[in-house]
Amino acid sequence: MADENSLGAILRAQGVSRRGFLKFCSAMAALMALPPSMVPAIAAALDKALRPSVIWLSFQECTGCTESLTRSHTPTLEALIFDAISLDYHHTLQAASGEAAEAARAEAMKKFYGKYLLVVDGSIPTKDGGVYSTIAGMSNLDMLQEAAKGAAAIMAVGTCAAFGGIPHANPNPTGAVAVSDIIKDKPIINVSGCPPIPVVITGVLAHYLTFGTLPELDDLGRPKVFYGESIHDRCYRRPFYDQGKFAKTFDDEGARNGWCLFELGCKGPTTFNACATTKWNQGTSFPIESGHGCLGCSEPNFWDAGSFYQALSTPITPVGKAAAVAAAAGIVGGAAIAMHNRHVKGAAKSEHQTVTVKDLEK
Amino acid sequence: MTASLERGLNAFREVMDAPIASFFNSCVHCGLCADACLFHTETGDPKYTPIHKLEPLRKLWKREYTLLGKLTSLLGLGATISDEELEEWSPLVYDSCTLCGRCTLMCPVGNDITYMIRKMREGMAASGHAPAGLIDATRRSIELGSPMGIKPKTFMARVHEQQEETGIEIPVDKAGADYMAIMSSMEIMGYPEYLGSLARIFKQAGISWTVSSEAFEATNSGIQIGVSDLAREIVMRIVTVSEKLGVKYVISPECGHAFTALRWDGPNLIGRPYKFEVVHILELLDQLLKDGRLKTEGKTAESLTLHDPCQIVRRGGIVAEPRNLINMVASDFREMEDAGVYNWCCGGGGGVSAITRAEELRFTVFKIKKRQIENTGAGTMITACANCRNVLEEGLEHYNMDTKMIGITELVAEYLKKDEP
Ligand code: SF4
Ligand code: SF4
Ligand code: SF4
Ligand code: SF4
Repeated sequence: MADENSLGAILRAQGVSRRGFLKFCSAMAALMALPPSMVPAIAAALDKALRPSVIWLSFQECTGCTESLTRSHTPTLEALIFDAISLDYHHTLQAASGEAAEAARAEAMKKFYGKYLLVVDGSIPTKDGGVYSTIAGMSNLDMLQEAAKGAAAIMAVGTCAAFGGIPHANPNPTGAVAVSDIIKDKPIINVSGCPPIPVVITGVLAHYLTFGTLPELDDLGRPKVFYGESIHDRCYRRPFYDQGKFAKTFDDEGARNGWCLFELGCKGPTTFNACATTKWNQGTSFPIESGHGCLGCSEPNFWDAGSFYQALSTPITPVGKAAAVAAAAGIVGGAAIAMHNRHVKGAAKSEHQTVTVKDLEK
Repeated sequence: MTASLERGLNAFREVMDAPIASFFNSCVHCGLCADACLFHTETGDPKYTPIHKLEPLRKLWKREYTLLGKLTSLLGLGATISDEELEEWSPLVYDSCTLCGRCTLMCPVGNDITYMIRKMREGMAASGHAPAGLIDATRRSIELGSPMGIKPKTFMARVHEQQEETGIEIPVDKAGADYMAIMSSMEIMGYPEYLGSLARIFKQAGISWTVSSEAFEATNSGIQIGVSDLAREIVMRIVTVSEKLGVKYVISPECGHAFTALRWDGPNLIGRPYKFEVVHILELLDQLLKDGRLKTEGKTAESLTLHDPCQIVRRGGIVAEPRNLINMVASDFREMEDAGVYNWCCGGGGGVSAITRAEELRFTVFKIKKRQIENTGAGTMITACANCRNVLEEGLEHYNMDTKMIGITELVAEYLKKDEP
């Protein structure tokens, strides 16, 4: 029997149907590149998961990450998951303010010591004793060190928290650094992106709730399921890249034909993120689909890599390797989807039976 | 007798091209298309929201063409499409869409909803969910050569009649003529004076032209019902004859959907360019006017307004031409609100006028036209499409309005300079 405080019970109390819940679980499975056979296991685990305590600290940042998280969701399951976790402290989203807010943080830290998940967005200024960003008279540096002590794990949301972000850009006047530059003794998961894709944030949380562990990470501490492949590997314009068809300006024939944006500075080949598959705004599109190259926002130092419009010299990912990884992990990659779609349409074409006037009625 | 759900779904898959996939992908659910569509504005019923009319097709796209959809359907969670659902959608895809293109124009992300509805009809027709009226019209087109069942004999009788009426010879099947004129069945049956007007204008302008005793019908029911195989056959009749006669131009009649079918869809249907050019009669008249070959005298003092046929103006780009022609012969021309590319449909295009069960709905949505006409206070309405004209006349009668109607070509012919050699 599931606990009445469990996630499943809470969601049911909020009127989420079993079917809707399963749909969410399968979407999550797909996102995390788990085989569909895992869906029941995910469902069972999520159903029983207890509301974990989450403390969210926002440091030197623009609030874009929180915006990303909240904006894209009219109440959906992801949003409900957030109602269902216990977000005990979040500068921007909490109703409490001033001393009450700080007291709530202190209480949660004490009550759930060693168990809470610490989410951080924003970088941490270290120059001049960290005076450049303070909350309730306490520097970000001190607050992070204090909150990290009792955390089970830390999630660095956004490129600022993960890699230093814009504040870290040359000449970095505040001495801004990433969470991982300061905290060395806790598991840290970097959910980079400027901002990160909302569903990636919820996906990692769901993984944490399901398995009680962090997902497998790449060498930059990012969950491989979302950052395992480059934008370029899954880009729908990729066939044009392979054929050497490039748009040279934003309004030339090539641009109108939807050709590859590489020569217009697209950083897709060196950027690892899920934009090309999960897309933005509830799956509406992503920058390349709207005609602009990728800026590379989920990579360290993306702002210091020269003009956004300057072409990368050479593609870095060998084509074969990514394809092999995709196949091994059982991921249906963008190229495979395109191929499959072409196949569906092609099959429909070859099955076409000429329609005569006699065929208009049953 | 052989229509089936499977054939319909297969047709859905066949039409699922890159534009359609990206349109579904880019819809931001803003609902702006709802207020663009007369079926929604005049009934207030949200089911007439243009993008909603495509729901079954969207479902199939989601299910079979997106990663998430494929995974969920693998798990048996995705939505399936049933015969009942298609039956329910039939009035949305046919009766309540005139393919007028207003929604397409309004969509902020540029989704060509009209194109999608036209394509969706392929699956609806193949699954046996096309309305009876349209099926009958299509059958007559294929078996008799015209949706209204007009046979060559009838057409030739019209030709002789107009020859006598005007005292001008109308060349038939003349090889090597520059222009070949075709007509829509509505014109042949209801407004044959169009042909006589052509004879008079072309005589004055000294144009070498002909009509064909075989390929005279311009209306393409195959496009309206949504069966490309039949649409191709119908277009091919005109193509074969014009290329056999070796004409340089085929003149599309005023009829808007005939123009769309011949000018835009035709070459795509047959898979190659024509060996002739298609010109709309209004484009030709305007050109003659500019070249000084079309001369009129006098102007009517009657207050006139113009109904812009969707396919000619919005989908066809012929906006200035009718106005140039009208201003040449009218002194009191009053534009309607939203005139030009934003104009509202008559309510009967896209095959809707052939759907018997849609009659009441047609009168309901005519209210927008009624308001537009009344606001101008004009006594006569001009239009450039025989189908619009017929639908408008029915609407005027239904609402007891005494607005008179006339076609542009006839209007111009009435004021032709008499004593031109
Ligand atoms: S360079 Fe950019 S636009 Fe071109 S294929 Fe790669 S990701 Fe797509
Ligand atoms: S497309 Fe590139 S720059 Fe844009 S959000 Fe995705 S990773 Fe960042
Ligand atoms: S084409 Fe015209 S009638 Fe059809 S849905 Fe769009 S606005 Fe409505
Ligand atoms: S106007 Fe365009 S974007 Fe808006 S709901 Fe209609 S189809 Fe979608």
